[in-house]
Amino acid sequence: MRKQMIDSVSKVIAENENTSLFLVDIGVWGFRDVLKNYSERAINCGIFEDGMISIAAGMSLSGITPFIYGISPFILGRAYDQLKLDFCYQKLAGNFITTGAAYDFSKLGYSHYCPEDIELARTMPGLEFIAAGTPKEFEILFNSTWNDGNPTYYRLSNYCNKFDAKVAFGKAAVIKKGSKGVVIAVSTMLDSVIEACGDEDVTILYYTTLVPFDGITLRENLVNEKILLCEPHFEGALLPAIIDSVKDCAVKIKCVGVPRKINRNYGTKIEKDICFGLIDKDIRLEIRKFFNN
Amino acid sequence: MLKKLKELRKTCLKMSHAGKDGNLQSVFSSLEILYALYNGVMNWSPQIATSSERDYLIVSKGQATMGQYVVLSDLGLFSTDELMTFCNFDSRFGMQADRTKFPEGGIENSAGSLGHGFPMAVGVAMAHKIKGKTNNVYVLAGDGEMNEGTMWEAAIFATSKKLSKLCLIIDDNESISKMLSIGSLEKKLREFGFAVANCDGHNVNEIMTNIKSLQKEAEMNQSPACLIAHTVRGYGCQTLMTDPSWFHRFPNDEELKNLTKEVDTFCENK
Repeated sequence: MRKQMIDSVSKVIAENENTSLFLVDIGVWGFRDVLKNYSERAINCGIFEDGMISIAAGMSLSGITPFIYGISPFILGRAYDQLKLDFCYQKLAGNFITTGAAYDFSKLGYSHYCPEDIELARTMPGLEFIAAGTPKEFEILFNSTWNDGNPTYYRLSNYCNKFDAKVAFGKAAVIKKGSKGVVIAVSTMLDSVIEACGDEDVTILYYTTLVPFDGITLRENLVNEKILLCEPHFEGALLPAIIDSVKDCAVKIKCVGVPRKINRNYGTKIEKDICFGLIDKDIRLEIRKFFNN
Repeated sequence: MLKKLKELRKTCLKMSHAGKDGNLQSVFSSLEILYALYNGVMNWSPQIATSSERDYLIVSKGQATMGQYVVLSDLGLFSTDELMTFCNFDSRFGMQADRTKFPEGGIENSAGSLGHGFPMAVGVAMAHKIKGKTNNVYVLAGDGEMNEGTMWEAAIFATSKKLSKLCLIIDDNESISKMLSIGSLEKKLREFGFAVANCDGHNVNEIMTNIKSLQKEAEMNQSPACLIAHTVRGYGCQTLMTDPSWFHRFPNDEELKNLTKEVDTFCENK
């Protein structure tokens, strides 16, 4: 997905004079051609996320759309105030692309994890949040949002789904329809969810735009008043959006996601998924328990 | 003090009285700087307030916003009647400005949280440089705000990118020395690569002259500029200059009369 992101952003920078790219000493090799060919607009600023995001807001104020690429906790966490006040409050356009997802950098420790990203983003009204599941999906969602005049956050992951779904900005994709209830697969959880569901008679909805949340598709496809929510970030992070979407119905909801605790293990991302019960066999058990009882 | 500046101070007192809030000490400390910028330094008028040719003023020191309102109103951008809606529920005029409420221009940024405006101004100056434009970008910051790390991050960027059209004006009313000893701002900013000058921040002519000569130096050095304007909190009103309780307070009916009288009778040599 990172390679696709570099290709997509590089193309935009090359084709649009009124754009700029800021790197936080991340992605310098991948963006080397852009940094060389458009050195006035494409800058490796070094390590100062908060000041840099305000500078980017100033550029946006003057009609240059900024792209910022960094590691998720240092953009959404460290520079939260700048995103909230300089972009959302002031209604400025900007694109914030991050690598790392919840714990892709598993060996680097908790400082480099960001399972809270979507919850932080949801406290900043006006900030769009994209979490594509594959490179192709990223390309589609990026192309339809980078120039929409809003601040947009893009979460990248190194652990993509195998197949591209038919995605569109602001819309959930209906992967299959069933009668026992709805399973919501968020972003990179789709592979595990499809595998886990097997031939269970359930509906699968796939979300790659997390803000704005497509409550209409959920409401239209709600069956048997049961929702199993599978998220690759803190468990239940999208619950408020779901409850808001189905608030006039009595619905039973079960959440699968990253536990809400400081994770002090290292190892691989997959080892963490296993530890947290986020792999096919664990999700399958949850599905059986939830929809068959 | 110019008669006009006394009038503007009295308007501020009225606004604060009407809206039942105010940072009058901070506003009075910045008023000559704001007046000088809009009345002799900047390429700005209500007619070009949204034009791409205008100079920019980013107010980083949000507490001075009321001063910006009255100076812009004096130039005809806002009516005095509307200023008196200050801090009402549906007013456009809050203690710190919200730029989205001013489609006619004038308010370039939404201030409030310190340490945001200066880096934004650096971004504006950088955008102009990329576009090959020569607009000047001015920033009003407070000396207390220089405690924020983002101010120095932005300073590094501004020097590195040779933003010679950027002029930082620090309203140095000695706020920081009440908290920490930061040493010489002038030496620090010179070390960061700025062209730096000092002046009396309540002398309009001195502010104008210093900015103009600083800009020549900045152009020659290809560096950003900084004017350290030495000011006094609450300047122009004896009570506001001497009673610290006025940092965040509004005048009642009686106080409005008394403070207005103090502004009228203020003599600079006192």
